[in-house]
Amino acid sequence: MQKQLDALLDAARAELAAAADNAALEQWRVTHLGRRSEVTGLLRSVGSLAREERRAAGQAANAARRDLEAAFEARQAELRRSADGAQVDVTMPGYPVRLGSLHPLTRTLREIRRVLAPLGFRAVSGPEVEWDRYNFELLNIPADHPARDMWDTFHIHDKARPGELLLRTHTSPVQARVMEQIQPPVRVIVPGKVYRYEDRSAKNEAEFMQVEGLAIDEHITMADLRGTLTHFVRMMFGPDRELRIRASYFPFTEPSAEADMSCHACGGKGCSVCGGTGWIEILGSGMVHPKVLADVGYDPDVYQGFAFGMGVERIAMLKYGVTDIRSFYRNDLRFLRQLR
Amino acid sequence: MRVPFEWLCELTGIEASVDDVATRLTNAGFEVGAIHRAGEHWDRIVVGEVARIDSHPNADRLNLPTVNTGSEEIQVVCGAWNFEVGDRIAFAPAGARLWDPYADEPVLKELKPTRIRGVVSRGMLCSTKELGISDDHEGILVLDPDAPLGRPLAEALGGEVLEFELKANRPDALSVLGIAREAAALYGAEVRSPIPDERPSEDGSSRPVELSIDDPALCARYSAALVHDVKVGESPAWMRDRLEQAGVRPISTIVDATNYVMLELGQPLHAFDWETVRGGFIGVRTPRPGERLVTLDGQDRELTPETLCIVDAKGPVALAGVMGGLDTEVTDKTSTVLLESATFDPISIRRTAHRLNLRSEASRRFEKGLPPELTVLALRRCVQVIEEIGAGRGEFLTADAYPAPSDPTPVSLAFDRIERLMGVAYDRSEVRQALSALEFGLEEDGDELCVTPPFWRRDVSAPADVVEEVARLVGYERIPDTLPTGQVMDVAPGEIDERDDEARDVMAGLGFAECVTYALTSEARMARLVPPDLLDASPDAPLGDADAWAAVRETAMNDAGRTLTDRLLPLDREPLRLRNPLSMEENALRLTGLGTMLETLRANRRHADRDLLLFDYQPSFLARDGDLPEEPNFLTAVIGERVSADRWNETGTVELPFVRGVVDELLARSGVPTDQASHDDLQHPTFAAGAAAAVTVEGRLLAAYGEVDAEVAAAFDLDERAWALLVDMPAVRAASSGAPSFSAWSEYPSALRDLAIIVDAEVTQAEVQETIQRAGRPLLQSARLFDEYRGEQIPAGKRSLAYALSYAAPDRTLTDKQADRAHNRVVRALQHRLGAELRG
Ligand SMILES: [Zn+2]
Repeated sequence: MQKQLDALLDAARAELAAAADNAALEQWRVTHLGRRSEVTGLLRSVGSLAREERRAAGQAANAARRDLEAAFEARQAELRRSADGAQVDVTMPGYPVRLGSLHPLTRTLREIRRVLAPLGFRAVSGPEVEWDRYNFELLNIPADHPARDMWDTFHIHDKARPGELLLRTHTSPVQARVMEQIQPPVRVIVPGKVYRYEDRSAKNEAEFMQVEGLAIDEHITMADLRGTLTHFVRMMFGPDRELRIRASYFPFTEPSAEADMSCHACGGKGCSVCGGTGWIEILGSGMVHPKVLADVGYDPDVYQGFAFGMGVERIAMLKYGVTDIRSFYRNDLRFLRQLR
Repeated sequence: MRVPFEWLCELTGIEASVDDVATRLTNAGFEVGAIHRAGEHWDRIVVGEVARIDSHPNADRLNLPTVNTGSEEIQVVCGAWNFEVGDRIAFAPAGARLWDPYADEPVLKELKPTRIRGVVSRGMLCSTKELGISDDHEGILVLDPDAPLGRPLAEALGGEVLEFELKANRPDALSVLGIAREAAALYGAEVRSPIPDERPSEDGSSRPVELSIDDPALCARYSAALVHDVKVGESPAWMRDRLEQAGVRPISTIVDATNYVMLELGQPLHAFDWETVRGGFIGVRTPRPGERLVTLDGQDRELTPETLCIVDAKGPVALAGVMGGLDTEVTDKTSTVLLESATFDPISIRRTAHRLNLRSEASRRFEKGLPPELTVLALRRCVQVIEEIGAGRGEFLTADAYPAPSDPTPVSLAFDRIERLMGVAYDRSEVRQALSALEFGLEEDGDELCVTPPFWRRDVSAPADVVEEVARLVGYERIPDTLPTGQVMDVAPGEIDERDDEARDVMAGLGFAECVTYALTSEARMARLVPPDLLDASPDAPLGDADAWAAVRETAMNDAGRTLTDRLLPLDREPLRLRNPLSMEENALRLTGLGTMLETLRANRRHADRDLLLFDYQPSFLARDGDLPEEPNFLTAVIGERVSADRWNETGTVELPFVRGVVDELLARSGVPTDQASHDDLQHPTFAAGAAAAVTVEGRLLAAYGEVDAEVAAAFDLDERAWALLVDMPAVRAASSGAPSFSAWSEYPSALRDLAIIVDAEVTQAEVQETIQRAGRPLLQSARLFDEYRGEQIPAGKRSLAYALSYAAPDRTLTDKQADRAHNRVVRALQHRLGAELRG
């Protein structure tokens, strides 16, 4: 029976190849796959075979039928493609797809969160309109301290409590807000908008995003800070990045450090991105000042830890090669589509 | 702060390169923002001598100096007059490159021979600004008479200047000596202090100066020295060069000497013409009522009670630490000078300087808190400098008031505290060496270390400060990379809701581009969200007043509109206003993001004619009495008139159901199923009448959407239709039923029946849908609207709605008869309850 099937298949294939239009194709289908076709007849005849032959014969006939069906579909598709002799032009553009996009700052923030989450950092938020007490005093920046010059501040009209309401100049006040509410261990990052009384330019914004990091426990060290930051820049900018920290001053950390990473554009040789130095300043950091800990009720002889803060636009500018910080707030669809 | 490198080297003996010194100081916390190299671009500029000065035939304001360059004589046209024949000057022949003094950004320009008022100029006498030495463009730079004629200027004058970015905690670093101490510690060098020893000859017996300090809290110490036989004139070139390199303009001997010592030691000094000080008396106090002072800038100032003053026997003669008085100013007639060297209260100085907008090099130093020990040292040095330049002869200390001397407080810490904080071990010898190099006094008691900071380091007052000194001097590069170990948090107060991320994802999936907009806006921008004539607004109160809003609420809104105004679009509220706005365009915090988003829509419309779907998900700011404002995250979306349809160039017009689809999906994905929210007609002046809806759940407003009123759109310069969607996401969260729950469907085939009915136009789709759902129970699975028709084929005042209904039973295949029976019940209910007629 196998022989019979093979012959049948060969003949059917040859006829199929010769079928040049839909009518011929349909004729072929009736002849070879229809109720009165040879294959169907063979399948029906299986029942009359000896019991031990039935199984093999049935399988062979079914396989032959499937082969024919597949061949038919392939030929049908072939004919459809060459209908009217016109080939499909695969270089035609796709129909417009209306899929939106996330803002590049949202995407950058999510990436920062994704990098730090495995180290136990939870993302929290706090108010953008703040009391002077949280924005400055609880961060060891008393009234009339010259360090206040580091943050040009927008003040808010408030007849009831004049001089106390302001737009936060950094996300650091959320440090104090978190620590007031829970005991260590603390491990949080704080993304959010901050405000500086500064004319807008390609380099400076009056409104921008920061991410603050804070880790407090009994044994968190400056080496832990360095390790965290190194991990961060390598996850964000590639495994070859080197971190350099150098002494600095912030009123709410002691010791304080500024962190630079080796330039991702030139690998540290010096280029226009890094101003020829091979290093890019990326964030400020330090060990939380004992006074800050004491002011929220933590015992600075027991608890210690680190804090860091970075500008999200700056990270995004480095990642995407954006040169004007204001681009993030113009919301031009051409910009948003490019960085989608 | 600008520090000439050779000055730094003179005080330390360091021989390292300027780049190496800059890097090491930067790493140790003294960030060098820039290294200015005077002479870097002076390739053809030479030392010249003025050989002759002729007058310009055609211009009185110009003269014609002829410059001898050693090899030739060149005539130029010059507009400055501050030089004489024989002066050595910096000469740039044609072809040299100079900084353009009139450009906003630093730009080098090649000098070309030019004809000025008929005379050819073949070069130029340079000002310090053109040379890039300072910003001073008044007059040309006159060099030291010894400057070698014809030599390149770079050799005669060149040198690097380090520009440090100042930190608020180190007043000592605002001096060349302070930087020198750091550099010396880093390089293991000795500081060569320029301060002379006391002169034994002065026994203080002749004391013609009487000093008085009213309040030691405002002035800890006041020291004074008299200088006699004063000669006020031009300072020598070496001093002028250093001052200029440090960014201070030379004026005359005495003033230059005080500035020089301030730069060198960090102590501001003031010089009084002693003959003009009345009564041989100097006091420090706050003013009495009505006291006034004419300050050096010529302003007659009324003195507020908190302004700390220097007074003589009759009244104020200077604003302490901020500005001197005109009457006691040193002039070229001055013969005796009183040098003031004092320690004022930093807060008092800071307040006065800020209030009067008179911040200076001196006030900046006082603000940071100077050590009282410094006053007498600075006087000695200043008198020495004055004598050295031949400007007078003085006493190192004439009078000194120091009512309550205080010593730096020692700090104790255990050695292992350093490792505990830094996460790396330091040898005890390293610790000792680092602290000694910084001139800290050390005592040890077993594992305890007791550290006494030098007098100029009052910023060191706690163990962590000492740890930082050790760590930064040894170098932060010693710190290894480790990761925090230990417990993680169980709760995170204020944790960011992941559903915020989901809401953004849903909107992006629905075709919207996320925008991040400014929170700062103007009341005028928000006021454009209602038609202008409605509020009777004035420029002072663009958002109108309470009466106007009461009327608008009454006449231009229905209940839904009023509820919308209560919170989600609260244009009748007082916004939070800035006390110090950058401009009137951003003088308030937003109550709604809609104004800004309509502007964004308009801006994008300039370059795109379709698919303008934008959303913003940032807080609005709603004031609360005596508390921080509420900052709810409102989602604001705007949609332009046309959206892409099938194929390449087809567009459809946005209609209300388009926005409704977005709302339904966003709410459903936020846990509010479509059938739980009710959509009602919304009347609000921001939205077009009859084309807006409010979405509520159990009476609480979740969202509002609709076509933007044409007048409002026009106010945003939009000349086509625009749609807006406002969502109170916190309210949506509150209404959310949480995770969606599963309900089984019938596994048996459904029976499908279409239904087209004609109803009165007033009958809402919701009523029809509800009737179908009720009557179809329990077999009806779904009723999907697929068409709405109004027009010729049906009577006026009516509309036709068509639905596809699906029936199924949970446990069997329905027979046609059973399905028909169920369907007929639905039809009868529609006829009976809503007066519907079957169509066609
Ligand atoms: Zn580079």
